[in-house]
Amino acid sequence: MPRTPEPRRQFESWLIPALIILFCAAAFWLTTMFKTMPPVLKRGIQPSDFPQLLLAAIVVLTLVMMWIDPVRVKEKLHGTTLGTIALFVVFALLTSIDLFLALAVFAAALAAYWGERRVIVLAVMGLVVPVAIFFLFDMVFEIRFPRGLLTNIWYE
Amino acid sequence: MDPVLNGLMALGDPYLLALLLAATIGGVVIGALPGLNATTGAALLLPFTLTMEPVPAIAILTAIYCSATFAGAITAILINTPGTAASATTCLDGYPLAQRGEAGRALGMAVVASTIGGVFSVLCLMLAAPLLARAAYNFSPPEYFALTLFGLSMLASIGDGSPLKNLIAGGLGIFFALVGVDNLTTVERFTFGSYELYEGIGFVPVMIGVFGISELLVQASSLHIQRKTVQMKTIDLPSRDDYRKTWRTILRSSGIGTFIGILPAEGATVASMIGYNEAKRWSRNPEEFGKGAIEGVAGSEAANNSATGGAMVPTLALGIPGSATAAVILAGLMVHGLRPGPAMFTEQADFAYAIFWSMMLVNILFFFMGLRGAKLFARFTLIPVQLLWPCVFVFSIVGAYALDQSMFDVWVALISGVLGFFMRRYGFSVVPLAIGLILGGMLEQRLGQSMVMLNEQWWLMFARPLTLFFFVLTALALFGPSLMRFGAKQRSPMKSSGE
Repeated sequence: MPRTPEPRRQFESWLIPALIILFCAAAFWLTTMFKTMPPVLKRGIQPSDFPQLLLAAIVVLTLVMMWIDPVRVKEKLHGTTLGTIALFVVFALLTSIDLFLALAVFAAALAAYWGERRVIVLAVMGLVVPVAIFFLFDMVFEIRFPRGLLTNIWYE
Repeated sequence: MDPVLNGLMALGDPYLLALLLAATIGGVVIGALPGLNATTGAALLLPFTLTMEPVPAIAILTAIYCSATFAGAITAILINTPGTAASATTCLDGYPLAQRGEAGRALGMAVVASTIGGVFSVLCLMLAAPLLARAAYNFSPPEYFALTLFGLSMLASIGDGSPLKNLIAGGLGIFFALVGVDNLTTVERFTFGSYELYEGIGFVPVMIGVFGISELLVQASSLHIQRKTVQMKTIDLPSRDDYRKTWRTILRSSGIGTFIGILPAEGATVASMIGYNEAKRWSRNPEEFGKGAIEGVAGSEAANNSATGGAMVPTLALGIPGSATAAVILAGLMVHGLRPGPAMFTEQADFAYAIFWSMMLVNILFFFMGLRGAKLFARFTLIPVQLLWPCVFVFSIVGAYALDQSMFDVWVALISGVLGFFMRRYGFSVVPLAIGLILGGMLEQRLGQSMVMLNEQWWLMFARPLTLFFFVLTALALFGPSLMRFGAKQRSPMKSSGE
């Protein structure tokens, strides 16, 4: 019976292990710059010993993984996922103006991006949800949120 | 006997009772919502328990754990989508039953089996945890190091990732635990001069990220999936004939689930799979499984709920999480300044028993809620994802911030969420990452203490019987499955040639 050919390896099967190994190499290099303690103060092991042992183990496991259990991706990355990650970036940028403004914009934008078209519902997502959560945490849990354009109105 | 009674007396507090009732309802709602599960629910709620006393705080988290694990059956039966991974096997027979117009019967059996499994496991927890703690009381650092290593080795078989990828994810989790000032030598490691990194990477924001925000991204890629809900008329208690058919299965699965739960890092998902398989293996009508066998629902649900109590045994007695949700509860214990481990049963025995009794109460509460409110809870499955997940995101961000009132934690949660999504996409489970982050510092600390104790002669660890025993268990956990597969491969050609 003819053997079925193995599926062609995707570029991720090399890229992901390469990224892990690069990360470990960079971290290992950083460990070489840790202070070395004199024998009396080192308490059993040097600060760099355990991280180095661990990073070496991760590299070995990654190499074994490449050989016997390579990374495979079943489906392509959806555009909606990338769009949602882009909304994370927008959220991160808006936090410099105000955390709750960023949350309001994100909540309404995500609902709209995922298919919600009713304006009233979008308004509830963008206004009522963040405001309700703000007052719940500010008044019940006594959490003080970072100052910003909107939170200053309440705090001052 | 005093701590047992004191723990029970704690439940007399109306505030605690009200919180437990609310948390049980919340847990059932979380478990019924597709995409949310006990781990995500506990991770999201953890920051909001910080202002509470330890007993109500941890009782809330355990209530979420027990009730959400049960409620996964609601979506499994009604929309063929397991609310939690542990309910995946419930779909196999629950949904065919619902399609035949017997959704009420299937849910009734799920409620009864879950309650019996849950109560059985809490009883085992009450007996086993103090015994295990007493056995571990005289452990020295080398034994603890070997035990923690064994707990981490069990990560290989956790989640849906491959063993190797799980170990790599666990290793990365341990690595992230090393960021900050070294506890043993006070040397700064990987801080890059950042003040926020001095204290290390907080495990609560990471958990919110990998369990909550990464799930949001997973949901983003499944927006096109249409879910078909089966209508349910009433929810009935199983008939006498159903009980006759299933009582052995329920008891067997309760035992299996509790045992699997006790194994470090093995949780309800593995328990439900084994419980279901055993129910099929022992059944007189195995051909009915997958087509609507009531024993299948009973086997799966009794096992997954009994794993909740089992998973709390190593969590409380040894400080090693028995499952992903137990890892979040362990994080909650540590955030509240409690020290899980043998000392808990001598120094904080009242607290431990209060948690046990509250778990028992929650199992009874969701029995009534399941019977009376399943129809209502089933409606939560209809909440559109485009409304649910923005709310989850807002809660995640505010929760991450609330812990230390620091924007740095918000960034950690956000980055962990994206990292967790890509890890899941490439087959790496995020559960080992979270558990590695919790246990990493402990592992290094115990290695250091062992080295001091053994005058830096690490090989002497192998001369200690208990340490050696845990090392052997670690080796078996890591290499046992591969060796068994290799052995099976070696035997199979002989069999085929014989045929």
